[in-house]
Formats: sequence, structure tokens, C-alpha cells
Amino acid sequence: MKALVVIAAMLATAAGQAATPIDGRTAFRAHCGFCHLEGGTGTIMLGRRVPKGQALLEARPDLHADYVRAVARSGLNSMPALTRVEVDDATLAAIADYLAKGRK
Amino acid sequence: MTKILPPGLSQGALDRALAAFERIVGRQWVLATDEDRTTYLDAYAIGDGLSHQPAGAVAPASAEEVQAIVRIANEHRVPLWPTARGKNLGYGGSAPLVPGSIVLDLGRMNRILDVDPKLGHCLLEPGVGFYDLYAYLQENRIPLWMSVPGNGWGSVMGNALERGIGYTPYGDHFAQICGLEVVLPDGGLLRTGMGAMADNAAWQCYQHGFGPSWDQMFAQSNFGVVTKMGFWLMPEPEATIRLKVSLPNPEDIGWAIDALHRLRLDRVIEHNFVFGNYLRDAASTSQRVDWYDGPGAFPQSAAEKVMKHFNIGWWNFTLGLFGHEGVVKAREEIVRKTLEPHLDKPLVAEPWHRGEPIEKSLAGRPSVAALQVVNWYGGRGGHVGFSPVMPPDGRLALEQFKRMKARYDEFGQDYYTSFTMGQRHINNVNLILYNRDDPVIMDRIRRLFPVLIADTKAHGYAEYRTHLDYMQTVAGSFDFNNGAMARLNQAVKDAIDPNGIIAPGKNGIWPRAHREHAA
Repeated sequence: MKALVVIAAMLATAAGQAATPIDGRTAFRAHCGFCHLEGGTGTIMLGRRVPKGQALLEARPDLHADYVRAVARSGLNSMPALTRVEVDDATLAAIADYLAKGRK
Repeated sequence: MTKILPPGLSQGALDRALAAFERIVGRQWVLATDEDRTTYLDAYAIGDGLSHQPAGAVAPASAEEVQAIVRIANEHRVPLWPTARGKNLGYGGSAPLVPGSIVLDLGRMNRILDVDPKLGHCLLEPGVGFYDLYAYLQENRIPLWMSVPGNGWGSVMGNALERGIGYTPYGDHFAQICGLEVVLPDGGLLRTGMGAMADNAAWQCYQHGFGPSWDQMFAQSNFGVVTKMGFWLMPEPEATIRLKVSLPNPEDIGWAIDALHRLRLDRVIEHNFVFGNYLRDAASTSQRVDWYDGPGAFPQSAAEKVMKHFNIGWWNFTLGLFGHEGVVKAREEIVRKTLEPHLDKPLVAEPWHRGEPIEKSLAGRPSVAALQVVNWYGGRGGHVGFSPVMPPDGRLALEQFKRMKARYDEFGQDYYTSFTMGQRHINNVNLILYNRDDPVIMDRIRRLFPVLIADTKAHGYAEYRTHLDYMQTVAGSFDFNNGAMARLNQAVKDAIDPNGIIAPGKNGIWPRAHREHAA
């Protein structure tokens, strides 16, 4: 199922279809899941420098949407920046809101 | 970020070009804010990366839009730097060689146009990633296997055109290309191979056309923008067997490379595999500080700790057997007969049969786990590779290993190496890991890399691929007859790209208009 979602999300991005609301969780898993799910490269690297239990971005209690957005666009430590072609602004906003759980 | 302009252009001229691009792709797909330009910098740059900063990016959605962009670029004399998904990490990412170039980001062209389950080929656009194709094959239950490189985040096409490799019998990725569609530097559209005939039914079945075959011209080059790629995929085999091998001593490389070469040459082993040192395993799952926090190169005492902890040898590699059950079994016996007399215990085979979970098999599955290695020194990690091509000879490999290790030791850099075994060559991939924020490390990398190039050239070897910063030096090492190859490349470049629009400087190929940068 996850695999289909990846394709669907990319096709939607390609077609610029922003009419339907973007589901932040789905977008996060499609665009960030390569590294930031359980056992992922980003999760392992974060595990070395954040408090225990906070390496998984979805479990972080302290992320703010603006911060998520800034990290995605400028990169952080070994994470390369993501272009607007890879994740467009509307999709990134949905991801940031999802990870921030309401914190701006 | 300071503003940058394409060479020889005024701000007004650049603005006019960007406005013309907007009329083709729409305003939202001309990406030229400071933030946009940051996203196209080399994430692993040696230095701040600004020496390769673009003036912006343009992202077309079709080959027709690429054609229009190329024509506008000619008109305005704006150099374009094509990139498929921008994940060429370690080689410059999506950053252009000439600062002020416009990145031609093909990431929106991400359609899987065709997959033929019976004939085992596909037709892809540049933006299709390894994850995308894998998901498509899985979801549609198509029994075709992929070959994936260490970093599976990137584009299938981009990787193949840069001569990337994977670890199945289809691991020579360029060799699986069957038919390209290319936008030429004048904006014309070409199809190679049988595709040169309109509506040819065998475009993805036969790699050559009639007369010269031009596909190689578009690998590691700046002679066109590839917009479609036919590509061969491996039919799922009946069975696979995985054999992990560890060798305890550094000197084991001598006999081992000779024995393994014979297995490759006879096609008992049909895939590229990585014959790597203990640091590969250590850097994939741990950091330097976990083992050693002192100055200088990683000492033997720390190496012993790593080997003991992971229960591995100085050298480690994984062999795979693919095919029908009987064939795989027969090959397993040959591998045992070849290697076990040198080992202190029998090899342990990990078999997979069709129908069992795919994770147990040797199918290529995309992963970014290999990117873990850049965190070895901590901080803002990165790597470049120094990867000379050698004859597959044990004595030469032993000598090369000793030379390279001595240089790493001399400069105080931890020695991370592998000898990737092709069928008729070795690619000695030496990874140079660093923390971009550590001036001591970065200073020694800057000094080490040119020394490695010179050392290796003195023994008759050259690199297969390199980072933006070293393209000119490596191209210069191909010096037969005072650089006859470079002269041919330049003659072709000037003939088909007189304005020097497509990726000036890539792989040392400079168009006339930019040749003053070549020094």
C-alpha cells in the first residue's frame, strides 16, 4: 500500500494538483520515509544526538512547522536540502503541520 | 547567498532568460529564489559549495518543454546543467560545474512509460527513482528484478548515464540501456538504436541501430539531454544463494582477487561485488568515536576491535548466485571448491527460492542505508570517492592497497576501501569521508585527493567517475597523444553545441565559449 502511495503522491505533485487537501502523514511517508521511519538512516543519525525516544520525527514532541520547513529547504548535518521539485511548497506545508502537530 | 550570474551575462539578460523559461514551464517551475538556489548546492561539497552555485533552476514536464528551454538557452547564451533527481551524492549532487548555470531539473518528468513483463524491459523518464520503479513492480506483481546502487534515492536513468553500478547480474547499469530519447543542444529530438526508425517495434530489444551506435555519447557527457531511457530488467530467477565471506589478513587480497577473478571471468559469479575492508562495515552502522577518538588514521588496534565486534575480517564480501535451482547449486560447489581451501571454516549458504519472502533473496531493493557512512566523523558529513579502474590481478591489487593505505596513513585519514569486481576489471573505490565543519579534516582532504590521482596515474590507472572539483584533473590524466580524446570531445562539442549551452565543463569537456574556465 505504501508503495502505491509513493507513486500517487509523485504523480499528484507532477500534475500540480493542489486542489484536494494533502494528507501530511501520507506525504511525510512518501517523501521523508526513505530515511525517517523506524531503522532509517536519518533516524539512526538523529538517535546519536537527540534525547532518547525522539529520533523518530513522528514521535518528536518539540518540532515546529517553521523549523521543519527550514530544515527541509536548507538541509541539516548530513541531510541534503529538498528542492521544490522534489517536495513542493504545499506538500512541505502539510508535512510540517503533521510533524508539528499544531505548533507553528 | 550572494547573487550569481551566468558567465558573461548581465542581470537583465538573466532576467529575460528566466522570463522566457516561465512562459514555457509556468512561473512556479522557474526556481530562482535564494532558498531555491540553496537547495541545488552540493550537500557534500568540499568547502561551502558556492563555487558551484547555480543562478536558478527550471523544471520542465515534457521533452517538448526541454526542447523549448534548450532553444531559449541558446538564444540567451545561458548554460544549462541537466540533472535527473539530483542525488549524485559524492559527485556534486545537482550542482553545476560552472557557477551561474541554470539547473535543468528533470525531476517532474517521472513517468514509468512502459514495463514489458514478458520481454523484461521498461521505458522511463529521467525523474523515475529506484524507489518508484521498485514500488511499481511490486504493486503490479511484475516478476522483474532491479539492480540498485548503494544510494537508492536517485534516478534510475541518471545513475545509468553516470555509469553507476548495482550488485545483480544486471549491475552494469549503462550496459542495460536499450534506446535513448535525447534533446540535442540545438533543441532537436533524437532517438537512438532502433528508435531511429519511427514506431520501430524493437526499440527496447536491440541496443544498436543501423550504422554507428551513439548511446555511449550521452554517458558522462554534455552532448544532449536524455528524456527517455529504455532499460533491461532481470527476470526473477528460480533461486538465489548468498555466501558471505570474510578474510582475516590484509595480505589475503592477493590470492583472493586472483581466485575471484577466475570465478567472474568464467561467469560462475555473474555480478559485481564489493571486496571491502572492515571500515565499510564499521561506518555503515557506527561512528569513529565509538572505536577511537585519537588523532591520525584509524589504528590497527581499533581495527581489531571492529573486526571482533562485528565478527568480520580485514576484507569482507558477499557473493550471490542467481538462476535455475540446479545451476545455482552447481555454481555453489565451484565457489566452495575455489575458496574453502583458503578458509578456516566452510562457507555458510543462505538460499532463497521463488515464492519465499523477497527480503531473503538477492533482488535489488532500494535503500539509503549506505548514506550512513557520511556520519563517520560526525558533524556535517560528506564523502567523495577516488575510484581508479585496474586490471583484476591479485598482485596489482595488493600493491595498490598498500600504496593507498600508506597515503591515507600519511595524511591521517581513515582508510575506507573496496575493490569492486567487474567481470574484467576492478574498480578500486576509496571513499574519503569527512566532516565539512572540521577544518583539519577538510584541509587534509584537499591535499590528499590530488596526491592519490598522481600516484595512481604513475601506475597506469585512471578514475571511472569523479566529483565536479576533480573532473578537469581526471580528464587531463587521459593524456595519450597529448590529449587526443579531449580534442575529439571538444571538436564534437563545438560542432553540435556551438554556444556551449549543455553542461559546460562536465567530465572535462569545455565548449569554445567557456574554454577559458578550463585552466
